[in-house]
Amino acid sequence: MPRSIGIPLALAILAGLAITALTLDGGKIGKSLVLGALFGIVLQRSRFCFLCHTRDFLTQGDARGVAAILLALAVGTLGYHVILTAWLPDPASGRLPPDAHVGPAGPVLVIAAFAFGIGMAVSGSCISGHLYRLGEGSPTAPFALIGTLAGFGLGFLTWNTLYIWSIATAPVVWLPAHLGYAGWLALQLAALAGLAALLAYLAKAPPEQEQAAPVEPTPLRHALRRILVDRWPATVGGAAVGVLAAVAYFQVQPLGVTAALGSTSRTLLAQGGLLPETLHGLDGFAGCRTALVSGLSPNGAFVIGLVLASFAAALLAGQFTPSRPTLDQAVRGIAGGVLLGWGAMTAIGCTVGTLLSGTIAGAASGWIFLFASFAGVLATLRLLPGR
Amino acid sequence: MFTGRLITAAVSLAVATFSATAFAAPHKEPLVTYEWVQKNLDNPKVRIIEVSVDPGVYERGHIPGAVNVSWHTDLVNKVSRDIAGREDFEKLVQKAGIDKDTTIVLYGDNNNWFAAWGAWLFHVHGLGEQVRLLDGGRKIWELKQLPLSTKTEEVKATDFKLPEGKPELRARLADVVAFAEGKSDIHVIDIRSADEYNGKIFAPEGSKELSVRAGHVPGAVNVTWSKAVNTEDGTFKSAEDLKKLYAEVGVDGSKPIITYCRIGERSSHTWYLLTQILGYDVKNYDGSWTEYGNSVGVPVANNAGTVWLGK
Repeated sequence: MPRSIGIPLALAILAGLAITALTLDGGKIGKSLVLGALFGIVLQRSRFCFLCHTRDFLTQGDARGVAAILLALAVGTLGYHVILTAWLPDPASGRLPPDAHVGPAGPVLVIAAFAFGIGMAVSGSCISGHLYRLGEGSPTAPFALIGTLAGFGLGFLTWNTLYIWSIATAPVVWLPAHLGYAGWLALQLAALAGLAALLAYLAKAPPEQEQAAPVEPTPLRHALRRILVDRWPATVGGAAVGVLAAVAYFQVQPLGVTAALGSTSRTLLAQGGLLPETLHGLDGFAGCRTALVSGLSPNGAFVIGLVLASFAAALLAGQFTPSRPTLDQAVRGIAGGVLLGWGAMTAIGCTVGTLLSGTIAGAASGWIFLFASFAGVLATLRLLPGR
Repeated sequence: MFTGRLITAAVSLAVATFSATAFAAPHKEPLVTYEWVQKNLDNPKVRIIEVSVDPGVYERGHIPGAVNVSWHTDLVNKVSRDIAGREDFEKLVQKAGIDKDTTIVLYGDNNNWFAAWGAWLFHVHGLGEQVRLLDGGRKIWELKQLPLSTKTEEVKATDFKLPEGKPELRARLADVVAFAEGKSDIHVIDIRSADEYNGKIFAPEGSKELSVRAGHVPGAVNVTWSKAVNTEDGTFKSAEDLKKLYAEVGVDGSKPIITYCRIGERSSHTWYLLTQILGYDVKNYDGSWTEYGNSVGVPVANNAGTVWLGK
């Protein structure tokens, strides 16, 4: 798209988002729209993507992206620690922090996160990645999201069986309840630092800068280029994601991108009479749970903000490059998407809702998702040719 | 140096004395206004308690100094279906820093539904004299854009012992069945929506069906709880309007009353206003329709004639 059209369009979208948010002043919907937009801008500008960062490391030894994920977890943990200690002074009281994504941690979670990892590797991204790439005109993203909706449907159909088999009795482990806040914080930061050290040991020197940034004639133009066009350093993206995760928890609800997608799927299936009469225990878990929806939910507003703002950011950067999808892209998108959807429904969240928002809240389920989805990615990249 | 400290001490003493007298005298009315709460935020003899329906509401902002009570866990017996027993309730009250001269102010979201339920429970456990409701609850506090705090308050526990309870404020299934069978000369008020009362629906939207019969207790009159509040700010209507509202369906306080709803919490809202504002003799039936509508062999009136199909 020519920039003479792209830039005004981007500005119009951002202005539209701002005006909508202002008219919804104070409400959860307005706040979610803003948070989603900020999240979308951060993802697009820093190319923050769980899969790509992991793949860069596994295939090229470039550890900067994975380090950014660890940084997001560390910053988010510090932010959550501040909020949790204020909201629930006694972590051993037997209560869980309100709304925090602390989910059942058992074998089903391992399987679901592993499947999610395969889905990421096959489709080329996790769900939040596909959402922001939708705004970049990605040819795969629409197929992956359609696959995700279908995957959610499968998740609903298998939920009751899995619930009775294991989820019902899987422990919901909130680490601060067992370690105390200080113990949890120390252990978690040490674990993240340990992973970072391992990463530094395994990493190869980063490849040469892809291209030397063109020198702009004036300092202002140079600064604008750095912000609007050049990719933000991975660490900036990681830190920003961590901050946003904590702010979102404080203001509205933990970060997550699948509740609205899952709810759409659940509502469609329910209207078609294809849903089981009851989904055992599902509505009782905190996490990216899905509900039958009639209007716009805060999470729906969050996702709309994310897609529109990443679209605007991509337009400003000249990175909106739609292309005609190939059959391979469509097949990979749908197949990977189904696994993403099934995994996210069954794990009650994805890399954002369960991995990020769970881990930084002190949930054992977050850590399990992290390792199991990593294993899924690793296995797929090793076995699947051409990846 | 020493003089300086002395002056500081004297000044703070004076301020303390002044502020102690500036606090309003303990309120004898059943309702307190948001202005009264504002003035008494620092009053050590006032304990503000939030009982909200939705989790996370208290944590994201509550009246400064308010203590959080969860109705799911603090106010019920978690195993069998029952209200919190005396022992548990005493512990809760001690933990909330309540003493015999504490004025307890309850408030919550959703028009004080669960705050009123909490108030009923305080009455059942003998603390009725000390309990007030913030008229309008969270709704009016937010509407007036008054400050909210996100700190969870740590209060000093007391060793307060509960006075004698008032179990007579609680109606049981047998009381309601006796009325339905014409053996008891009282009024029964069903405070659910007209659709629930008439049996068109088994449960309100958003709630699971928990009763296998729809309808109401034969002879019960229907005054939906919401008719008693001013919708814009959640406050109760005036005593005069309330009196008229219930007189229209023949309830004038001349006979004892039982209130019920689906699970007993919205009916506490009506129970509170009937007993505390109008001074009527009322019991709240906390078993409500989820007990009555599932009971075998009790009379049911179902105007709509809906049949339960097991779904």
